[in-house]
Amino acid sequence: MVQASLVKWARLKSPWVLHFNTGGCNACDIEFLALLTPRYDIERFGVLLIPSPRQADALIVTGPVTRQIAPRLKLIYEQMPSPKFVVAVGACACSGMYANMQCYGVLGGVDKFIPVDVYVPGCPPRPEAILYGVIKLLEKMKAAKA
Amino acid sequence: MATVEQAAVDILKEKLGDKILEIVTPRPRRAFVLVKHGFHRDAVSLLLEQFERAGISTITGIDLGDEIELNYHMRCHGAVITIKSRVSKEKPQIETITDLIAGATLYEQEVFDLLGVVFKRHPNLKRLLLSEDWPEGSYPLRKDWNPQDVKENPYNVHTGPSKINDQGLDGTTYTTNVVIGPQHPALLEPERFLFKVDGEVVVDVEPRLGYVHRGIEKGAESLTFLQDVHLIERICGICNVSHTTCFCQAVESVGEIEIPPRAKYLRTIVVELNRIHSHLLLLGTAGLVLGYESLFQYMFRDREPTLDLMEMITGNRVVPAFNTIGGVRRDLKPGLNEKIENILERFEKRMRFYKDVFQEDPTMRLRTEGVGVLKKSDALKLCVAGPVLRGSGIKMDVRKDDAYAAYDEIPFNMITYKECDCWARLMVRVDEIVESINIIRYAAENLPSGPYRVKVPRKQPKGEAISRVEAPRGELVHYVKSDDSVHPYRVKVRSPTLANIISFREIAKGGYVADIPTALISLDPCFACMDRMVFLDVNTNRSWSWRLDEMKSLKGEVNGR
Amino acid sequence: MGVDLIFMFRVLVFPGFAFLLAFALFCDWFERKVAARMQNRIGPTYTGPMGILQPLADYIKLLMKEDITPRQTSRFLFTLSPVLAFSLFVFILFYVPIDGANVILASGFEGDLILVLVLVTVAEFAMFLSGWSSVNPYSGIGSTRILTQLLGYDVPLMLLALGPAFLAKSLCISTIIARQKVPFMLLIPWAFIFFIITLQAELEKDPFDTPHAETEIVAGYGTEFTGRKLAFIRFSKDIQTVFSAALLASLFLGGPCESILFGSSSFLCTAWFVVKVLLVIFVLEFIGCMCARLRIDQVVWANWRIMIPIAILSLILTVVCAPLFESLIG
Repeated sequence: MVQASLVKWARLKSPWVLHFNTGGCNACDIEFLALLTPRYDIERFGVLLIPSPRQADALIVTGPVTRQIAPRLKLIYEQMPSPKFVVAVGACACSGMYANMQCYGVLGGVDKFIPVDVYVPGCPPRPEAILYGVIKLLEKMKAAKA
Repeated sequence: MATVEQAAVDILKEKLGDKILEIVTPRPRRAFVLVKHGFHRDAVSLLLEQFERAGISTITGIDLGDEIELNYHMRCHGAVITIKSRVSKEKPQIETITDLIAGATLYEQEVFDLLGVVFKRHPNLKRLLLSEDWPEGSYPLRKDWNPQDVKENPYNVHTGPSKINDQGLDGTTYTTNVVIGPQHPALLEPERFLFKVDGEVVVDVEPRLGYVHRGIEKGAESLTFLQDVHLIERICGICNVSHTTCFCQAVESVGEIEIPPRAKYLRTIVVELNRIHSHLLLLGTAGLVLGYESLFQYMFRDREPTLDLMEMITGNRVVPAFNTIGGVRRDLKPGLNEKIENILERFEKRMRFYKDVFQEDPTMRLRTEGVGVLKKSDALKLCVAGPVLRGSGIKMDVRKDDAYAAYDEIPFNMITYKECDCWARLMVRVDEIVESINIIRYAAENLPSGPYRVKVPRKQPKGEAISRVEAPRGELVHYVKSDDSVHPYRVKVRSPTLANIISFREIAKGGYVADIPTALISLDPCFACMDRMVFLDVNTNRSWSWRLDEMKSLKGEVNGR
Repeated sequence: MGVDLIFMFRVLVFPGFAFLLAFALFCDWFERKVAARMQNRIGPTYTGPMGILQPLADYIKLLMKEDITPRQTSRFLFTLSPVLAFSLFVFILFYVPIDGANVILASGFEGDLILVLVLVTVAEFAMFLSGWSSVNPYSGIGSTRILTQLLGYDVPLMLLALGPAFLAKSLCISTIIARQKVPFMLLIPWAFIFFIITLQAELEKDPFDTPHAETEIVAGYGTEFTGRKLAFIRFSKDIQTVFSAALLASLFLGGPCESILFGSSSFLCTAWFVVKVLLVIFVLEFIGCMCARLRIDQVVWANWRIMIPIAILSLILTVVCAPLFESLIG
């Protein structure tokens, strides 16, 4: 139907992201921040960095989930209106790296708390890898039923 | 002429006599003095009197089995004099030193939090990083701590809104509590600050730390020294080279390993590249915070060539894994010198342009001049570090005072500005970038030949060492104690942000709400560095309490799905 | 019957509702491209040719998002105020002759300039209400900043707008346009420059970006809005931009018609109007990219201590110089 495909087209072309660091070391964050800068320029794809969870479509999470931040993470996820997606960036967000190194402050990867759609491994992943992850997310949105 | 540590030891011996139980001076500019219980205050005040700009770097607590040893690491003109005092484990109590030196406040709170040592007459001895519902009596850094304590008290998502500390406000002034964080566009990392605000003026600040706490210090005790290098590197993604340099230096001091001169120069090159990248990151983020998005974009664009350079030298852009115990892991490939020179030359031209922007742009100066003033005396009293210190006119830089790696052989200038405001702190960083470019050039041209790494045994002998490094944010201190095994007995990291966050209260009070991000960003906070110690269990919902008549605490709820 | 069809066509399609919406989307794209190029980036590229359909995609997506209303808000105001702001701005655009005549033919009257400026104030109040009814501290701070900034700068806006009205001896926008044989920008350049600065403040662009100071107060007054209401809020900002540029073009740049060059052909009038509006938007965005953000107290100080006295002086100067320009006014 024309209307459904129009809506899908709009959602694919305008993914607004919210960035949230759940206790990471920051390396993934600065590689993500580099995406907004002239060399990589993620705005070409229509991606805008949005300050409020209420206005975002995708949540980009970096860092392993520490005990203090876990409820916050869930709250932010709940505040986002649907349809919403989550991208876990970095080895910590994918699997909770420090927990394996016996650092007890960390509870685990992001997918223990909220459903994750795309995993971008790396420590830190290059900006090109994160961009590839965002493109994969768009492909996933395309393939999903409206 | 006596060295600083010799002079300090002499003065202590003279005045305290038989109260001193043990003195060890294992290497230049270091001294470890064990005093009898109860006399640490005398020792500290003696050092403060004797040395003009003495301050405290950090306080380390170590669980020795029956006793807890407290190390007061005092920095005195480039040397570190450690006053040790032991308390029994059943009743760990000791007098505070916060009345002697205000900068020790957070360090004592940290030791209280993690090891359970009570500091008598401390002005605010409450949990610094642990959550309110952390089980009582469970101190993670003690050797006999049981992880089961925590498993039996798992975090709970559905506890109600946290009680934000509302001390009673008198009914006449309307103040609003504005919470910034943990999710907030100004903060790359999660932290929470509670500001008591009267209209647009900040009345008080209460930071809530610990969102990034992962428990790295405890984790480091269960890994080998070599594995710890990789763990320590991930304390902070931005200043990671400083962390590995500091840790490797500490372990090399304990093991009395001498690294080859080529390794020293290579370390210097990569550390300075890291400094350039970190300062550029901060200046760009400062532009973003000030609403100057074009500056942010331009600075990040110009940061990319330095990351390319880092990749050419070490193989990775941000977290290079270059340092190792005994030297560095890779050599500089031949033919790279020319590329280094090309990139640095182009980059230097851009830096001159940015210096003009920071000096002459009217909106920039309007927003940063006179904002967030930290007086010289306060800076010394609170023992801050790095560009915050040098922006208030104090000439202190670990690279000059306590030279490590190749800094004693490379000439460079120490940058200070005397305006004491946000603008001065940003300008210090701009100038330091230019200095770093010159250091890298000099080091690359004068690189000594020879090996870049020595083989190191897995076990390190018994001993302890403190290593200091001038990280981009300030003085970084690592303390390593080894017990003749493959695992370290204790690793303590004091990052510069913890030293600087004390001053945030002074800087923000009395200013406008709109100046809060400017003030915060001029401190260059790196919460990942700061929070390694304790893990938190606070289930704080994002609720604010807004004390304007009947408007009370709010919680956004989803309506009708 | 025939008259009614023309009326419906003019109001709903061209130069009315549909044209204005499409034009607002186009200006949104134009702004983003200008900002991106100034920042050495490319901006939206892959949505339609050169990314022109990007704002359309944004709005369609927003309209189809889940609409969340926090429980504590006052629902009536929360739902109504974005729509109110949006409708008011569209309505006042009806008084700017886009293709040579007002959207509703012969609806211009003496004093419609005043009506337009007053309705701008009411619309800004609706924007304030949308933030205030959100019952969220960040929205609250953002909306009070709207009051201090937007309503504060309405005063110099009105004073400066009276300059061209005085020169043209009329308070009707169409008449002001018709009387500009020589664009008033050349006759009273001081009023033109200060009007641009005031518009920067009205549109909340740098250096007057305080209601949106993201890093201080999250997303300002729009923090709690999602879905359709957010679309209305963003749209009302776009229409406000178009309106401000259109007002500036009408009062100072000669509006859509150049009676010397083009006569009154309606198509060329529209093209001329579009060109002028885009030029103004380009200048506004350019200034915005060059400046950092001022603090709210600096913005307020600039208003009451600098802009208002200057606006009064400019009006006096215009009145004094008016007789000199008698011959140049149509």
